[in-house]
Amino acid sequence: MKEMWKGNHAIAEGALRGGLQFYSGYPITPQTEVMEFLSFRMPELGRHFVQAENEIAAINMVFGASATGLRSMTGSSGPGISLKQEGISYLSYNDLPAVIVNVQRWGAALGTLDSSQTDYLRDTRGGGHGDYRIIVWAPNSIQETVDLLYEAFEKAEEYRNPVEIYSEAALGQMMEPCEMPEFKERGYDLEWSWDGTDRDHERVDMDQKPIHHTAKFKKIIENEQRWESINTEDAEYVFVALGLPSRVARDAVKRLRSDGEKVGLIRPIAIWPYPKKAFEELPEGIRGFLSIETTDMGQHVEDVALAVKKGFKTNIPVYVHATNQKMPKVKEVIEVYRQLKAGNLKEAF
Amino acid sequence: MINELVFSGFGGQGVLTAGLIFSEMALKEGKEVSWMPAYGPTMRGGKANSVVKFGDEALGSPNMEEIDVLVAMNQPSMEYAEFMKKEGKVFLNSDMIPDDTDIRNDVEVIRIPCVSLAQQIKNLKGANLVMVGAVIKKCAFFEKNFAIETLKDYFKEKGKGNYNEANEAAFLAGFDAIK
Repeated sequence: MKEMWKGNHAIAEGALRGGLQFYSGYPITPQTEVMEFLSFRMPELGRHFVQAENEIAAINMVFGASATGLRSMTGSSGPGISLKQEGISYLSYNDLPAVIVNVQRWGAALGTLDSSQTDYLRDTRGGGHGDYRIIVWAPNSIQETVDLLYEAFEKAEEYRNPVEIYSEAALGQMMEPCEMPEFKERGYDLEWSWDGTDRDHERVDMDQKPIHHTAKFKKIIENEQRWESINTEDAEYVFVALGLPSRVARDAVKRLRSDGEKVGLIRPIAIWPYPKKAFEELPEGIRGFLSIETTDMGQHVEDVALAVKKGFKTNIPVYVHATNQKMPKVKEVIEVYRQLKAGNLKEAF
Repeated sequence: MINELVFSGFGGQGVLTAGLIFSEMALKEGKEVSWMPAYGPTMRGGKANSVVKFGDEALGSPNMEEIDVLVAMNQPSMEYAEFMKKEGKVFLNSDMIPDDTDIRNDVEVIRIPCVSLAQQIKNLKGANLVMVGAVIKKCAFFEKNFAIETLKDYFKEKGKGNYNEANEAAFLAGFDAIK
């Protein structure tokens, strides 16, 4: 039965349904409701909840819990995720699965409490030191948030790498009807975890690490691109947007289509690995791409440009409509499109 | 068709709650629905609003775009009138918004003294529910008894079922204020 769920509570319950056993975190707006919910729900279910002394402690507790084979998660917003980067880098290097939730707010440093997507480049490039990546999923509805969390632990275990859920303040605050899946547990042994026996932990020798990691990330790039394409079959202009702005873009496409405009939408669901395949299957004759995002200078547009460069022989212009901390409106996107088509918009790439 | 409703006022006037009650009604009728709140760091005072969208098709933007129904509980809420559709309806709290307030002339204005009406039935906190009743009668989004039952269930689930008689009275005061 569908019930109204608030985004942040749905993150928490979705993770629990997916088998979350250990959570450690430190409060920060707009993510606090996730851990507040878990703080009573996890003891209810006999699982482990820790409010750590800070973000760094939280991610390192996740490291330890994950090593022992517990399905482990931490969460924060932009500033807190910055503090966790060393831990995330260590998780990836040591092939430990974990789920990280980022409910984003705008800005560098403390920023503001406004909803935004300004952590795009950090989160899709690993975030910490070293040449690693984490799988990053960007839902655009409460139901999709839950569905992705439900799957996240298995994906993290499959590749032995962290998976991040890339949410936004507004997506955490809003409510929508949502169907919660049944509780599930890991039905298999990880085979490598530190379980108190002296079994082989499948640790990779230091000199083999570069080869091992390159292979791991190549495999993820090949297998884990995810996206949704709408009306792209005959499109002349393609919008590219993720998370909440993608819903605005979808409305704009619908309206423009009803006016006879040949526009389409690519919505990356995985933002790392970036869905380059979505661009490769586009028709010939596309005249421009427009990234619609709640960043300041345009971040996602860089990945759009890289994908376009790889997918097409001709130099198709890539534009960006970056609206800072303000969600674009449908009418505004339509107006930007008209300006673009009239040649009044300067291309970003 | 998608309906866009905005409930706006000071924090504490129940504009988030009013939106949630409508969301529950839409959900119960099997519709697609989204509820998007906006409020400051204070629980009392400051601007607050909730945007409710519902309809039979998948919902796009959950944000304020083109409003069908604006419930304005205070004067500053009238700034959202600029986002209203032509022929949209604005329900204004005439106890707090003066009659000479400048309002665009292509929308229908419904003045409800929701604070006085709530006071008359000794449920001052129910002024938002007075508005809910008025919207239900005027717009007929949902059937009267269904709306009342949903409203009662909502408060009961919050552990506030004891106030249901008073809350129903508030709803009816608004419902009957529309002739």
